[in-house]
Amino acid sequence: MKNIRLYLSRTQVKRGGRLVLDIDEMDIPGGTFAGVIGVNGAGKTTFLKVCCGLLQPDRGSVQFGDCDLTALNAWRKTNLRKRLGYIPQAAEYNADLPFTLREVVAMGRAGVRPLGARLTPNDDELIDFWIEKLGLSARRNQTFRSLSGGEQQKALIARAMSQEPAVLLVDEPGANLDFHWKHQITDIIDRLYQQTRITIILVSHETNLLPAGCRRIILLHEGKVLADDTAENVFASDALESAYQCRLETVDVGQRKYIYARSKES
Amino acid sequence: MDPFFYLIIFAGVVAGASTGLLGVYIVGMRIPFIGICISHAAMAGTMYAGLLGLNLNLGAIVASVAVSMSLAAIRPEKSRLETNVGLAILFSLMLGLTFLALGLVHGSRAKLLNLLWGSLLFVQRESALLISIMALVLIVFTVLFHKELKVLLFSRTIAAATGVHETFVYCLFLALCGVIISVNLKIIGGLMIYSLITNPAAAAYQVCRGHKSVVLTATLFGMLSAAMGFLTSFYLDLPTGACIVIVSTIIFGIASLYRCLFRKGE
Repeated sequence: MKNIRLYLSRTQVKRGGRLVLDIDEMDIPGGTFAGVIGVNGAGKTTFLKVCCGLLQPDRGSVQFGDCDLTALNAWRKTNLRKRLGYIPQAAEYNADLPFTLREVVAMGRAGVRPLGARLTPNDDELIDFWIEKLGLSARRNQTFRSLSGGEQQKALIARAMSQEPAVLLVDEPGANLDFHWKHQITDIIDRLYQQTRITIILVSHETNLLPAGCRRIILLHEGKVLADDTAENVFASDALESAYQCRLETVDVGQRKYIYARSKES
Repeated sequence: MDPFFYLIIFAGVVAGASTGLLGVYIVGMRIPFIGICISHAAMAGTMYAGLLGLNLNLGAIVASVAVSMSLAAIRPEKSRLETNVGLAILFSLMLGLTFLALGLVHGSRAKLLNLLWGSLLFVQRESALLISIMALVLIVFTVLFHKELKVLLFSRTIAAATGVHETFVYCLFLALCGVIISVNLKIIGGLMIYSLITNPAAAAYQVCRGHKSVVLTATLFGMLSAAMGFLTSFYLDLPTGACIVIVSTIIFGIASLYRCLFRKGE
């Protein structure tokens, strides 16, 4: 169960007669850490939702391990997602309700246990393990809504990890966070990858936020794959400039590459 | 107090408990308008069943369940329709059908208009039994699907993406909503149901920390609203429904004040 391969073939999603995702072939073997980048509206979130079967493509197939997600009914697709971690953007969850942090993390076990079954002591152990691991122990009984944006993001990571996922999908983890938290969250995801080697697909429009461990970069533009290569090659290619439509400059800082838009004059 | 009133208080408290508990999920999902919408569906169902010479209760239940289940067709990630807007459209249709039926009914309309405010004072043993049974069904449902309902409240996207059978639980919840509202309608009426669903739950969300405490507090607030409202109306000789609604609003006011004074940061 540890290694799940994702394989997309001739996958197309149409919206209003326009192709918003059009992927000929994409192979993401188990244990890959891939960063998906592109401008707003390039199809990044659509790609993520197709990968986990939340969005049914109009054509083509999405292979999740041995199963074709597009051919499964809703019930079986749900059962398949028990080992799929998903960290959505802030707009997709209700942060106003007075759930405690521990309750939010415990939600990670809800899909793993059968419908209507209680959580076991083993689940409790896992939940507490991940709260501890992300340094949230002091906040466990605080309400989720009273946490800072960065701590909420950490709690959502703990929730996803308590699921013991084989594939982790992360959608813009740095959105709405300040400089300090952006980097902390990036480092956490990087460390998680080093320690677990699960498949991680990280979507970010901020190229500077991709962790060092993220060796493969998929550049999407208008729903199509413009580049799919190692980080060095993608950042050095012209594809990036043509997608972002401006002159770019790459600067190496430690293990990370920083990309800046060059002003018109220089 | 005449023993006759014990049955009224009992029925009122049971109705308050089940609407208070139902409210936790309805308010948490931000669809309080569902109360008004379903009660009008029940009214329309009752009237058309009457016109066609069918069983009135059955007509109310069938119409309510049909309307509440049709909400399940509005999928958050697929349609561009907000659930509340969908509810408003359904409500306008139900209102239209109700008035159409009113125009078709010959003779006394007073009995039908009773459904607007209900008739707690004329409660019968059978309806008290019916709402008690349904209250028990609701409790069993919330206990059994406790962990699924929590994720559903937090985020339907997370629930769907991570292997929780959210569509199943959501549909079951909507159906139960339809049945509970329509069986309670005769006793507490469409307008009172709306406030008994919204106020106790909204008050609990103000002051509680943790989901379990919200559930227990909202149920208690619902029971308190009904009991105190009835006693006020009994001793001061005022209309019962109006007193219950006002008491439940006062409870919400006190809860808000409590939050402002003592629990601001939570």
